Amino acid sequence: MRKSSRRAALGLLGAGLAAPFIRPSFAQAAWPEQTSVPDILKGTGEVRIATFGGTMQETQTKAYFEPFEKATGIKVRAFPGSDPTKIKAMVETGNVEWDMAQLSRGSIMNLQKMGDYFEKIDYSLVDDGVGKEYRFEYGLEMLVWAQVLAYRTDAFKGAAPASWADFWDTRKFPGERAMYGTGSGGWPEMEFALMAAGVPPDQLYPLDVDKALASYGKIKKDVVKWWDTGAVPIQLLTDREVTMTTVWNGRMAALQAAGVPAQISWNQGLLKRDAWGIPKGAKNKANALKFVAYSTMAIPQARIALGIPYGSVNVESNKYIPPERQTVLPSSPDIKKNLVNYNYDWWIANREVVIPKFNKWLLS
Amino acid sequence: MRAVQKTMNPMPLLLTAPLVLFMLAFYAVPVVSMLMRSVSDPTWTVANYAALPDDPVFLKVFWNTLVTSLIVTVGTLLMGYPVALALVRAPKWAPVILILILLPFWTSVLVRSYAWMVLLGRHGLINESLLAAGLLDRPLRILNTPLATQIAMTHILLPYMILPIANALRQIDPSLARAASGLGASPFATFRQVTLPLSMPGVAAGMLLVFVLALGFYITPAMVGGPREITLSMLISQQVDQLNWAYAATLSAVLLATALGLIAVCYRLPGIRSAFRMNAR
Repeated sequence: MRKSSRRAALGLLGAGLAAPFIRPSFAQAAWPEQTSVPDILKGTGEVRIATFGGTMQETQTKAYFEPFEKATGIKVRAFPGSDPTKIKAMVETGNVEWDMAQLSRGSIMNLQKMGDYFEKIDYSLVDDGVGKEYRFEYGLEMLVWAQVLAYRTDAFKGAAPASWADFWDTRKFPGERAMYGTGSGGWPEMEFALMAAGVPPDQLYPLDVDKALASYGKIKKDVVKWWDTGAVPIQLLTDREVTMTTVWNGRMAALQAAGVPAQISWNQGLLKRDAWGIPKGAKNKANALKFVAYSTMAIPQARIALGIPYGSVNVESNKYIPPERQTVLPSSPDIKKNLVNYNYDWWIANREVVIPKFNKWLLS
Repeated sequence: MRAVQKTMNPMPLLLTAPLVLFMLAFYAVPVVSMLMRSVSDPTWTVANYAALPDDPVFLKVFWNTLVTSLIVTVGTLLMGYPVALALVRAPKWAPVILILILLPFWTSVLVRSYAWMVLLGRHGLINESLLAAGLLDRPLRILNTPLATQIAMTHILLPYMILPIANALRQIDPSLARAASGLGASPFATFRQVTLPLSMPGVAAGMLLVFVLALGFYITPAMVGGPREITLSMLISQQVDQLNWAYAATLSAVLLATALGLIAVCYRLPGIRSAFRMNAR
């Protein structure tokens, strides 16, 4: 209990750091409206949704919680603090308080590997525009984001790093680095280490772990922080503790809006996704399935992408997103082609071996 | 007191019952059920414990945690003892000193850790001042190193050292010091031969408190510490998140056993109990 409350405190720190920034969103008047829904999505009662809170939940409320209530008659109750460990505990104790939760394919399949923790998705309800690559048995991916290289534009006399080889090159691009570690259940960025060592982006998986660690070894002394929450690299860039770091792309928009001279380099970034999962035994499972289907329709997905710089899983959404907005979205065709699709399945199959190996390497 | 105990007055029991029940329900039960995981997940086994001596990550992290706690304990002792002495010997200044100790004590650990980030950063207050004064050519790296953790933890834990020592010093009969100087002892000899030995229970209590609290530190090392500095509670939290709950429970058991073991040993030290007694004089 104590540990988790401390973790919550760390999360609060993140919220505190993010608070002064205004997350740039597209003028809300220009958001498209989903005026009608298929009758099969209508219902009664409520659906309790666990989210990641903060600005994300505020955007979700405007983008699809409130419109869903109006269109279907089902009440949405949102709870910040989605966490796979809580779902594990809820399902094991039979006290399932959430009907669905924002997670990742990784955390859903990770749990599913240990037992039966999630309900199957009803794909007969889901919109055709949702790409095959986003669908899986126990969840549906519903938000596209990227883990990318970010740097201070005032650090390298105008030179712009454009690859992981540049990130690793501390002579050409001097200064300290920060990278994502294993602190909060995350998986290290071995893909980046491999690309820095010259592995082509399309030949990353299955990852060569030893090669990745050898590559990491070349930059270990320059990495001052192995971060575990999205606020940390943003703070490190702002305070000039590092000149280059890996970041979650959505956080950068806020940083730039605050006037910090920093840029994303999209090339060779990882395309990651959040997913809806429905905990086994959810009390309003039927409503949850309807919400999963509704929220991945083209317009609700476009509304999210206009509110927060994360992309859509529905190809039809692009019709509703103006070109100037596309320049900050990882799902826009011009950016997506430079990103590597993150392979959650490889990580789920191998994390039990890889994480201890990484920890051991880190401490040695 | 003794007479009360003999007649088995139910009053103390009744007065403490709410707290005892609360602690049973919300502390003892969860702790026990969590610890059970370390021997029952997936089946009854001691394998989780048997594997620890050969687990390089655990050994390194446990060692780091002990060393950090020891450094912080020594640091708080060296800085805290003079303050405790001043608190007791200069009654005029005592309220001011007490406020200086207690104000940060009442501020959240999170806020204080963040304040240290502002102070110690590459472009933080300390570096910028030293650079402006021409004492440095380029900023020192203090933030994100073990030193930053030690500084911040020492600051956070100082009150836990000062207050027990001050309490022990206050319990020393002032006539003893007068007698020593009356017999020709210099002020330093009086301190070394009378005051210091008599304050040892407070020192031991302070060291115990600080060391045990330092063992469980999580936020501060995570925020200001170095890239390779993982404490035991950080590893536990990481393993909970990685869903290795049996391993996390095993690590928690080790942390708990270390703390309890230290407390058990220290309680055998002569006089330490008096240090936890308030106003015994």
